[in-house]
Order: sequence, then structure tokens, then C-alpha cells
Amino acid sequence: MAKPILEVNDLRVSFKMYAGEVQAVRGVSFTLNKGEVLAIVGESGCGKSVTAQTIMRLNPTPPSIIKEGSSILFDGKHEITKLTNSQMEHVRGEEMGMIFQDPMTSLNPTMTIGAQISEGIRKHQKVKKVEALLRASDLLALVGISNPHERLHQYPHELSGGMRQRVMIAIALACNPKLLIADEPTTALDVTIQAQIIDLLRDIQKKTETSIIIITHDLGVVAEIAQRVLVMYAGRVVEQGYLDEIFYNPQHPYTWGLLRSVPRLDSDTKSALVSIPGTPPDLFAPPKGCAFAARCPYAMKVCTEIDPGHFRVSDTHSSACWLLHEDAPNVERPIEAGGRTHG
Amino acid sequence: MEAISKEKFQPAEKTANVEAIVRPSVTYWQDAWRRLKKNRMAMAGLIVLIILAGFAIFAPMFSSHDYKTQVLKDTFLKPSSAHWFGTDQLGRDLWVRVWWGVRISLFIGLAAAAIDLVVGVLYGGISAYFGGRVDDIMQRILEIIYAIPLLLLAILFIVFMGPGISSIIIAYAISGWVTMARLVRGQMLLLKEQEFVLAARTLGARPARIILRHLVPNVLGLIIVQLTYVVPTAIFFEAFLSFVGVGIRPPMASLGKLISEGAQVMRYQPHLLLYPTILFSLILLSFNLLGDGLRDALDPKMRK
Amino acid sequence: MLKYAVRRIIYMIITLWVIVTATFFLMKLLPGNPFANASAKLPPEALAIIIQQYGLDQPEWKQYLKYVVNITQGDFGVSYQYPTRTVAEVISKSFQASLELGLESLFLAIIVGLTLGTVAALKHNKLGDYSAMFVALVGISIPSFVVGPLLSLYVGVKAGWLPPGLWDGPEHRIMPAIALSFGTIAILARMMRASMLEVSSMDYIKTAKSKGLSTTAVVRNHMVRNAILPVVTILGPIAVNVITGTLVVERIFAVPGLGAQFVESIYSNDYTMITGLTLFYASILVVVMFVTDIVYGLVDPRIRVAGRR
Repeated sequence: MAKPILEVNDLRVSFKMYAGEVQAVRGVSFTLNKGEVLAIVGESGCGKSVTAQTIMRLNPTPPSIIKEGSSILFDGKHEITKLTNSQMEHVRGEEMGMIFQDPMTSLNPTMTIGAQISEGIRKHQKVKKVEALLRASDLLALVGISNPHERLHQYPHELSGGMRQRVMIAIALACNPKLLIADEPTTALDVTIQAQIIDLLRDIQKKTETSIIIITHDLGVVAEIAQRVLVMYAGRVVEQGYLDEIFYNPQHPYTWGLLRSVPRLDSDTKSALVSIPGTPPDLFAPPKGCAFAARCPYAMKVCTEIDPGHFRVSDTHSSACWLLHEDAPNVERPIEAGGRTHG
Repeated sequence: MEAISKEKFQPAEKTANVEAIVRPSVTYWQDAWRRLKKNRMAMAGLIVLIILAGFAIFAPMFSSHDYKTQVLKDTFLKPSSAHWFGTDQLGRDLWVRVWWGVRISLFIGLAAAAIDLVVGVLYGGISAYFGGRVDDIMQRILEIIYAIPLLLLAILFIVFMGPGISSIIIAYAISGWVTMARLVRGQMLLLKEQEFVLAARTLGARPARIILRHLVPNVLGLIIVQLTYVVPTAIFFEAFLSFVGVGIRPPMASLGKLISEGAQVMRYQPHLLLYPTILFSLILLSFNLLGDGLRDALDPKMRK
Repeated sequence: MLKYAVRRIIYMIITLWVIVTATFFLMKLLPGNPFANASAKLPPEALAIIIQQYGLDQPEWKQYLKYVVNITQGDFGVSYQYPTRTVAEVISKSFQASLELGLESLFLAIIVGLTLGTVAALKHNKLGDYSAMFVALVGISIPSFVVGPLLSLYVGVKAGWLPPGLWDGPEHRIMPAIALSFGTIAILARMMRASMLEVSSMDYIKTAKSKGLSTTAVVRNHMVRNAILPVVTILGPIAVNVITGTLVVERIFAVPGLGAQFVESIYSNDYTMITGLTLFYASILVVVMFVTDIVYGLVDPRIRVAGRR
């Protein structure tokens, strides 16, 4: 049995605004095992990026606050929510690395690539500048950049978007972190480059056995790389399970909606792409029942009144939906939601 | 899990207001005004300015003295009930002269703002709206004017034209509007490329409609903010010119002139320096506070 | 980069030409001739000689050409007031004090202004921010011709800590430099603060933090470095500020520099001196603007390497 590298328990994060508190993350719990790739999916504003950045403690406080009772246990020994800033500096970069969405803006425009990669190495491994640069050049080779020696002296604007994202990956990997968090690493890239970056991440994962959390709204990316999937909606996890469980046996109407909104080639019905009508709730005042109830075609009275909690589907699969209650009526799932039912 | 009655599992009636917006919608200007009101420093600036303007208008009217009558037996009087701010080297009442100075300063500030509004906005707007070759030529001209040191040229201009309010305003008009023109052009160019303008154009809106409904309201905030900075700049401009000796023609007094005269006798008559200095700094401070507040209030990027 | 520099040089020359031409026509605007007042006392033959000497009997285009040629050779003419002194002599004699004062206060302003702005941004919306920004606001609202007399009066005359004027030892440098740098400090502090705040919300700052760098390292290597870039662009206008400021500050503290000379010539209507000094100042400013443009091109790798525009 694999050991967990990260255990998140009842994580709640809010942002203080002049008009009140935006509850961006409202009680998220999950576990990530060593060497595993976990995908967090959901539409924009569902709290997936906030969750990721909270794990690295990158959200500025204030305005963001981690609520009392939240716990993020890393590598069985670091309680992230309790670490001091200087302790956190040793976790960041050394044990966790992060890749951001937009490679055009996430590199410092006035610093050479080499300096940006070696910076973290020099800080954590206390090596000389030359040595750090050599290591940086190895890293560039690892992420598939040709002429790594020359690239070290170049500035970000001299590289293409895909190359810059490779550099970002090199920065994140600089100190062999145990956990890599990729926050929408492909969203800002061209489709062909997206595939290359995902391939690269998968290769690296195999070579280094790093655990990866990948945040995305692209189910194609999820299918390519993830072993487990966490579906988030309005600051909560609505469904989680292994890839197959989520893709072939989804239980939550929101997951059905997500899956139906993906275009596919093998679709035998000539149905048009389906979108989920409506918009997510305002997190200034989240609804007291299920947050998805207002948009859910199967909503029952109970949904708007009481929060469903998690229903177990299997040991590894759970869903926060009242439809799984024994008293709930059987609803016929939209056929496409079952994924490739005959495949 | 506690028992939940079975009827709760009936389908919920769909309410009509599923997508009702929870927060009340506010227009851009309401929102800006609300934010400005919350900014205490900016409101203080606004109130001080209103009070100062009131005094500048009424104080000289309700005083038994005027700004030019010299009473040579009453030179260098200290502040008293007869002369609230004392008198100067020619026995003129400083209270009245100071408020006259505020009048002139504010007048010059407003005149400069008007010039900026007309010349700067038109120049920038035309340059951005037509674009291409027109924009190119207009920009080159602007770059050259921008590089000319305004203050120096103004001194030269007034030396040769003779001092006075109109000379000062003309001197300002030569190149004071350049910053405004640059700002307006930049903002217009940015807006021109944006989706909502493109959308309006696709829907067949006429240019006049695009300018009035889409471009102007979005540039207006920027223009207002810039104007609140133009006023103190022009006031400073006048005071500076008066201080180096090319400002207002005596016996008329501007704040710059009063400060300059006060500085010469400050050792023995500090009150002649102090009062104009305080009022002058207060005007500049208030305008800057108001300008900062307006900028924060009108900047849509800050909208939350 | 070379193309960029050539473009800037062309602009610089055009600007200087516009200024020279403007001053020439302003001179022509004067009613009669510049010796109208003095001519009453002069015998007509002497006046004719002077007019000939100054080339005033020539057609205007010839006068204009001569004027431009003279100026490019550094010959700004002779003082109307003291016919024995040329403008060039006056400049070479009093420029040193002005340059020294200008550089000292520029140095002071950059150090204090950037520090103040950085501190304000790091303590955003806290006490440090408010106090630094209040200082800056006061600095903008109270110009040097107000600070100068007040300093001279209270620190110089009343408290007697520093000499209230003149230009002898190092102790004479302090108050003029402070008075002159006051407004500049404020502008720099505000600019630096805004720039720092903008940079601090950039993605690459998150990247830097995610590497586990200490706050100091993030601020020093990533924030300040990028935040200073836009500040370089206003060094031109800043220099304008300082140089025009010398006009009043030198007068207030009786510094024997160009500025004091300039104001004196205004009071005595010494037209050639005024025009000559204006041209001199203007060319310094235009050159400074040019230099800052080039410096900006050098410090920003995006311009340096791309070499376009």
C-alpha cells in the first residue's frame, strides 16, 4: 500500500473583501499518495487554484485566510498550516515545486533563464554558482530544451511559450521535489504544445516518481495523465475517485455535465455538445444546501436545504449527491455521461 | 445519518430566479462616488477646496480693505483685529491680498484645465481615432513638443511678451496639454481594440455612436483624474514664474508673488511668508489628495 | 539598439532646432530693437556701429542663419547689461556650483525616494505605507520655493544649525540640496511605490516565492529590479525638475550658480543673457532626456536584445 505524501483535511480558505468574506474553499479533503498523479477539475472560480496555492502557502495573507480546523499534512511530518514563514521557505522549492498557468508572465523578464533556475538550487542545496548553473543546464536538457548551455544566458522573451513552460518545469523540478503542483500548465498554450507538455510531465513523473497534482478544466488532459480525479464545484469536492470510476461510472450530476461538455470523435449519437446551463453561486453567500442544486436538472427539495455530505460509491470513489440516498428516486443518467459505454 | 422525510426527495420546484444576481448592480459612476466618499483624505481635500474657493470669492468682497491701496503709515503691521494677516511693506492688507492670490491661482488652474480639456482631448482623440498616417505625424509633433522644457520656454515667452495673467495662460497653453493628449490617445487606442467596441461595430453602430457611447465614457474617468492633476501643476507653474520675477504684474498679487516678497523679509516679518505659504500648500495638497482619491475611485481595474 | 539610438539623436536635433528657432523669433518680437532704451543715450553713430556689429541691418534670414551658426559654436552673445561679459563666460564661471548642487540633490532624491517608495509598497495599506505616502504627498504639495525660505529661516537663521545661505564649505551644501530634492523625492517615491505594487502582483513573483526564496531575496532580486525599470523613464522629467528648481533654490540660498544668474538677468531684463541661458538649460535637458532613453534601452533586456524601436 502506497504511503500518502499529502493529506488535506477540511481545508477552508476565505478572502476578506470590503463587502464581506468570499469563501473560496469550503471544506476540501483529499489524500495524495506517493508517486500518484491527481487531477483537480472544475470550472474557473471553483477554488481549485486557491486549493493548490494554499498547499504552497502562496496566497497573500491578508486578504486570504486559512480557517481554523483546516489541516494540510505534507510527507507525514509538516503541518503546512502551522509552519512559520521561514520553515515554509524550506518546504517550498525544496520539497514542493509549482508550475503556473501562463508561461509568458511567470518568468522574470529581467533575469536570465540560468539565474532563474539556479536561484532555488543555490538557496536549498548551498552549492556554488557554477555548480548550480551546471545543474540548471542538466535540468534544461531533462525538460527537452536543446543547447541548454546557450539557453542559460538567454532571457525569457527570447523563448517561445512552450519553451518557457519547459523552463518553468525545470524551475519547479530544480531540487527534486516530492510534490509537483501544476496549475493549469497547458491552458495558455497552443494545442500541439499542450500535448508536448503533458507528455513531458508524464515522462518526468515516470523518471523521478514525483507525486503530481495537476489542476485543469480540460478533461482530455486528465485522461492523459491522471490516476485519480477530484471534481470541485463552488469551493467543495463534489466527486472523487480513480480515473475510470469518474469517467465510466460518474455519480454526480455536475460530473455528468462536465463529461457531456467534452467533444469526442467516437460519439455514436449525433448529439450536439451540451453545456451546463446557469452560473456557479456567489461565494459571498454560499447556498446552505448543495451548491449545484440551482443548476441541477435532478434537484430535489432536500438538495436546496441540506448539504449532502459524501456518499461512498466504492472504497476509492465518493460523491456528494443526494441521488445516492436510498430514498432518492432512480434517475436515468444521460447516456453520454457513462463515457464510452461500449468501449 | 439522521432521518430525512421521504417527501424531501420530491423534485424541487424550479424557481424563476435561479440566476438572480445576489449583489445589487451599481453603475460605474455610483460605484466611483461610493468609493470616493469612503476615501476620507480625498473628501477632506474636496471640502477644503470648496471652503477655499468660497473664501477666495467672498473674503475680498466683505473686507474694508482692498489689494492695492497703500497705507504708508501702516507698513509691516503684525496680524491684528484691523488687519487679520497684518500688512506688507507698502501697508497693504495681507488678508485681502492673500485671498486675491488664491483667486488668481484657482483661476489660472481652471483656465489651464479648460485648455487641457479642449486641446489635449481633441488632439489625443483625433490622433487615436484616425490612426495610421495622421496618428504617425501627430505623434512625431507631440514627441518634439514633449521634449521642450515648458517652464524655461514659458519664462522666455513672458519675458518677451510682458508679464500678466494672459501671458501666463498662453505660455501654459503652448505645451501644457501634451500629457493629456498622450494619455487620451493611449487609452483610446487600447479601447479601440477591445471586444465591446468590436462588438458594437459588428452590430452596425455608427462611428459617432461608438465614440459617444463606448469610447467617451471609458476615457472620461481618466480625463477627470488628469484634470485634477493639471490644476495644481498650473498653479505651481504660476507661482514659480512669479517667484523668479515673470509672473503677475503688480500691484495685483498672486500666491507665488506673495511668497517671493515674503521670502525677502522673512527674517523680521515672518507672517508675510507664512500665510501665503500655508494657503498655497493647502491648495496643492488638497488637489493632490482629491486627484489620488479620484484615481482610485475611477480606475475600473480596481473594481471589486 | 543602434537604430534606436540614431532615431533618438535625430529627435534630439529636431527638438534643439525648434527651441533655437523659437528663441530667435521671440527676440524679433521685441518692439523696436533691443537697444531702444540705451540708444537714447548713445550717439547715432555708435548705435549704427552696434546695430551693424550685431548684424541687425541684415535681412532676417541672414540674421537667423548667423544666429544658428553662432549658437552651435557656443557663442550665445554678449550681455546687454554688462557689455564686457559674454554669456558663455558667465556659464563657464557659474556652471560648476549649479552642477554640483544638482547632482547632490539628484543623488539624495534617488536614494531617499526609492527607499521610501519600496518601504511603502512592502507595507502596503499599513502604517509604514501611509506615513511614507504622506511624506511624499507633502513633498509634492510644497514646492522648493516654499521649503527653501522656510528651511533657511528656521534651521538657518532661528536655530542656527546650518548657514542660511552662501556657498563655501560642505555645510553650505546641505540645506540647498534638501530643498531642491524635496519635490523629486516625492515624485520618485510615488512612482516607485506604484511600480512595486504592480510588480508584486506579477506571476513571476509567485514563481520566485514558489522556489522557496526568502522574502528579502524575492524583494531584492525580483521586485526591486523590475520595479526600477519604469522609474528610469522618468529620470528625464526628474532632471528637468531639479534643473528648474535650481533657479529658485540658488536665489534663496545665495548660491553663485547659473540659476541665480538667470533670475538676476530676468529682473534686469538682460535679454541676451536670458535667451542664452535658456538655450543652455534646454540643451542640457534635451541631452539628459536622450541619455535616459538610451540608459533605459540598456537596462531593459527586452529592448537591448530586440534592438527594435
